[in-house]
Amino acid sequence: MPDIQPGDILGELRVPVTRFDVVRYSGASTDFNEIHFSDRRAKAIGLPGVLAHGMWTMGAGLKLVTDWAGDPGRVTRYRVRFTRPVVVPDTDEGTEVVYTGTVTDVVDGLATVNLTATCENAEVLGAARAEVRID
Amino acid sequence: MRAAFWRLSATKLHPMPITPEHAGRTYPPAPAYRVSRAKIAEFAVALKDDNPAYFNEAPIAPPTFAAVIAAQAWGALFGDDELGLALSRTVHADQVFDFHRPLREGDDVTAQLTIEKVRVRGNLDMVTIHVALSVDGEPVCDARSTLMHTKEAADA
Repeated sequence: MPDIQPGDILGELRVPVTRFDVVRYSGASTDFNEIHFSDRRAKAIGLPGVLAHGMWTMGAGLKLVTDWAGDPGRVTRYRVRFTRPVVVPDTDEGTEVVYTGTVTDVVDGLATVNLTATCENAEVLGAARAEVRID
Repeated sequence: MRAAFWRLSATKLHPMPITPEHAGRTYPPAPAYRVSRAKIAEFAVALKDDNPAYFNEAPIAPPTFAAVIAAQAWGALFGDDELGLALSRTVHADQVFDFHRPLREGDDVTAQLTIEKVRVRGNLDMVTIHVALSVDGEPVCDARSTLMHTKEAADA
């Protein structure tokens, strides 16, 4: 990957998410926690309603990095903090998570990318960072 | 004899909570997980990620697929009666993956969980776990999760 510099911007990735998508991730990941399909169960533990999986929010955002890097096998490290839940209303539109990425460091053939993820203008991931081999 | 029996029962009904001394505890690995082409494709579609690397003739898995396999090892932690942890009172606070190589179709992946760190703050337990994923003894991914666990009121 030629000419990667700190400050390079990876652009923006907008990922819509509906109840259908949350159910599909439950099946694909085999995480069948009821807060991901039952408003009743979610509200019983003080949540506003059905949530997207934190691991979905983490995984879907990595597409911004792997599309930029070309080969997903170049990712050597990925970390996030789950700061706020992504609440998914039972509507046709659902909601949307918006990701951005910026290269912050290039050292020894490894680029560090800082990611942001917001939903309804609130940060849903904190300290999200991926390291990618660029040699 | 009777006293010993009573203590055993009490331990089962009111388990001692998890403490910092549990750091270092390791569980036997979960049965090996076979990575399949169909599951890779299903997972990539669920992430809305159409990268050809996930759909070609020799696909690799999306990096965060490691969490699906790591989660198979979580059962040992929540099944450890001594710790008194309940999945329904647990929130995933952060996640770190160190990837050594991509997971591929046909890999038989072993996942072994170790408790790395425990911090107790009143009613809250912050538990950092490390799940080591390996294929034929070769490390493929280290997945670390910090779990925030709320004790039951009776334990507080």
